Amino acid sequence: MAHVVNTDLVDDLKTLGARQIEACFNCGNCTAVCPLSKDDVAFPRRIIRYVQTGMKDRLCGSIEPWLCYYCGQCSETCPRNAKPGELMMAARRYLIGAYDWTGIGRRLYLDSRVELGAVLGLAAIVVVLFVLFAGPMTTELTAEGGVKLNTFAPARVIELLDWGMGGLLAVLLLSNVWRMHRWIMRREPGLKVPLGAYIRGLATLFTHFFTQKQWLGCKGAGERITATKWFKHFCIFAGYVTMFVLIVVFLRWFQTDAVHPIWHPQRWVGYIATGALLYGVGSALVARWQKRHESHKHSHPSDWIFLVLLLLTTVSGILVHLFRINGLAYATYVTYVIHMAVLVPMLVVEVPFSKWAHLAYRPIALYLQRVQQQARETQARTANLQPQPVQS
Amino acid sequence: MQGANFDVVVVGGGISGIQAALDLADQDHKVLLVERAASIGGKMISLSKTFPTLDCSSCITTPKMSAAFHHRNIQVWTSTEVERVESRDGVRKVHLRKHPTYVDNSLCIGCRLCEYACPVEYPDPFEEGLGAQRAIAVPFTNALPQKAVLNPRYCIACGACIKACPTDAVRFDQEEERLTVEAGAVVLTTGFVLNALELKREYNAARSANIISPLQLERLLAPHGPYGRVLRPSDGKVPGNVAFVLCAGSRDQSIGVPYCSRFCCMYSIKQAMLLSGALPTAELTIYYMDIRAFGKGHEQFYQNAKAMGIQFVKAKVASIEPVTGDDLSLRVELEEEGGRVAERRHDLVVLAQGAIPVFEPSKALNTPAAEDGFLRQPDPVRITWTGVEGVFAAGCALGPKDIVDSIVEAGAAAMEASRFLALRAAGGSPGKEPDQLTNPIET
Repeated sequence: MAHVVNTDLVDDLKTLGARQIEACFNCGNCTAVCPLSKDDVAFPRRIIRYVQTGMKDRLCGSIEPWLCYYCGQCSETCPRNAKPGELMMAARRYLIGAYDWTGIGRRLYLDSRVELGAVLGLAAIVVVLFVLFAGPMTTELTAEGGVKLNTFAPARVIELLDWGMGGLLAVLLLSNVWRMHRWIMRREPGLKVPLGAYIRGLATLFTHFFTQKQWLGCKGAGERITATKWFKHFCIFAGYVTMFVLIVVFLRWFQTDAVHPIWHPQRWVGYIATGALLYGVGSALVARWQKRHESHKHSHPSDWIFLVLLLLTTVSGILVHLFRINGLAYATYVTYVIHMAVLVPMLVVEVPFSKWAHLAYRPIALYLQRVQQQARETQARTANLQPQPVQS
Repeated sequence: MQGANFDVVVVGGGISGIQAALDLADQDHKVLLVERAASIGGKMISLSKTFPTLDCSSCITTPKMSAAFHHRNIQVWTSTEVERVESRDGVRKVHLRKHPTYVDNSLCIGCRLCEYACPVEYPDPFEEGLGAQRAIAVPFTNALPQKAVLNPRYCIACGACIKACPTDAVRFDQEEERLTVEAGAVVLTTGFVLNALELKREYNAARSANIISPLQLERLLAPHGPYGRVLRPSDGKVPGNVAFVLCAGSRDQSIGVPYCSRFCCMYSIKQAMLLSGALPTAELTIYYMDIRAFGKGHEQFYQNAKAMGIQFVKAKVASIEPVTGDDLSLRVELEEEGGRVAERRHDLVVLAQGAIPVFEPSKALNTPAAEDGFLRQPDPVRITWTGVEGVFAAGCALGPKDIVDSIVEAGAAAMEASRFLALRAAGGSPGKEPDQLTNPIET
């Protein structure tokens, strides 16, 4: 199979964070030191080689970047200080951009000013929409002394908009996932994947989506550090998914004028989820600021934008709630608009085009790896059943 | 001897220093050869064979040592360390510190009766810790001078040596002396040391006695070595599967030695060849990043080793873990087998440590070191000149290099020093020394 050499690949990856990757002399230390590197999936050196030689097709069809959880062991022991761990990170950024057929993801990643501009532009649109279409800002309070938020922004309307936006983002993300699947499967053209393999692999997909347990095998920096990092990430994941479901799917139940008692699930579920989010996002920001661990030393602007948006969403959401139950009408309305002006760009920019997309790509990659393994096993079994050609 | 005057002081009595001293002394210069250890001979005297000819190393070194030691124009001061070299007003002053050996060398006749009488044994430094040495002893069989040296770290001051000594040479009250000598020129041949075996944490050298240094293997291979045969240190088993890990202390920025040590490829190949003679059934594997066989006859030597069945695996060893049976498990990516990761088990592992400088130019010569910490070579044509007037250097003091290159460089440094002295004697201004060349070079 002929390969088209993409001469921009190295420069692209360097822009995405792998600044020292040209120093690599392919000794293989990174692959051998990686605790997740196995017989059949050995990385990062292979991925470095693809990048150095401009093999864009190979890179785009690789699942390896999604199997790396960045313990940083490879970067710390690299004889050339080429930072292979950072290359894997840059490769994930590159892949998010490459899977996206609209080309927006690529633009956002390659120029962070564009990403910031998109975020600010969307925020402005949200504010303008509120100014034009929001309901009356009544100071009248409910019987329990809560603000009548649904008069200002009726949950029913917001919910419809949510669903519309959610649908659009889902279509974008799923079409990108389809491209990812096609590219990965194309790497092994001879492999016939039976439908059964796809169905049997679904368990892997859900386990990894909900637990990220693969991460726990990434023990390069020591088991305790790995477990702590996994827990913080899980807090972000669980808090985020809970809040996402509440806001996008059950908004009518979540955004009420009634002030429920503290033991009502609407309140404690929300509190636990936002608490987990605050803890996870806060410690992630602090860690990136302190740069103590190898994986926190090299933050790309997209990492900061994602975390800051997440933090602002959480904090403004908490404030809306506090103002509302305490009857501070104008404060509630203003923070609500701010909350939406952060939340919408975060979802629109991050879900299909930027860092958030790894929520889908990581479990899908593990799923496809499992599917391929099963397909290979099936193929080997059927090959053994074939009668051997008679020796003449 | 305060204020003694020499034409040239050669600092370091390894093969480079011996060669430089001989070349200068043969031209009738009065030479002082200063050596920090108790015997001259340097690293070379402890090696088993040389590459790529497989000549006996000590058979080459011993006559050279002897020639230098007994030369009428050479004085040899052992157990003497150079603290500082000054070059000012056309004069070189060398500040020395003479360590006590607790033996009066003018009386000691090297009969070794003290050594036989001494009740204390400690790991022999000459055998790289593999054999045992008495607290008072002649450093090794062919040491020069053949004088006993007492090691105060292990001596229990029982006085057995004093009673045994037929010439009353033992002096428990000897003290350190500081002296300064003047010289027309100085040649620095201070050599190198190997960085610590434990430097790369992933190799776990501290956790296994079977991860050894190449100098230890040299001693194991030497005919007069500690065990007389090749045995692994932990349990005395005859090793059956030996790994050589190249670039274990060099070409690695993560441990601060980015440069190549230049001789590890070749000595590892040599050691593997010698091992295949000593242990014909053993499996021998050399893990390398690149084989740098750049010298005369080196490539042929490498090809011969391959033909002998020594395995060459292109891989940087990422980690070494001690496993059951005192064996070791090496984790590598087998790049030539599709890039798969493998754990390979060996019962003895030799780490090719990096060569790092001993001499600190900024402290001892008041001149900055080169980027790699070795002496600078500011003049690209006169490479043995250190940039300090009248001070020249050769061998591994300038950077890691093999024996052949060291000897050549020692000759060149001797020639430079001799030329410098001749110019000075003829009335040329030594301060502007490089300008008097026909090819003036900006430094």
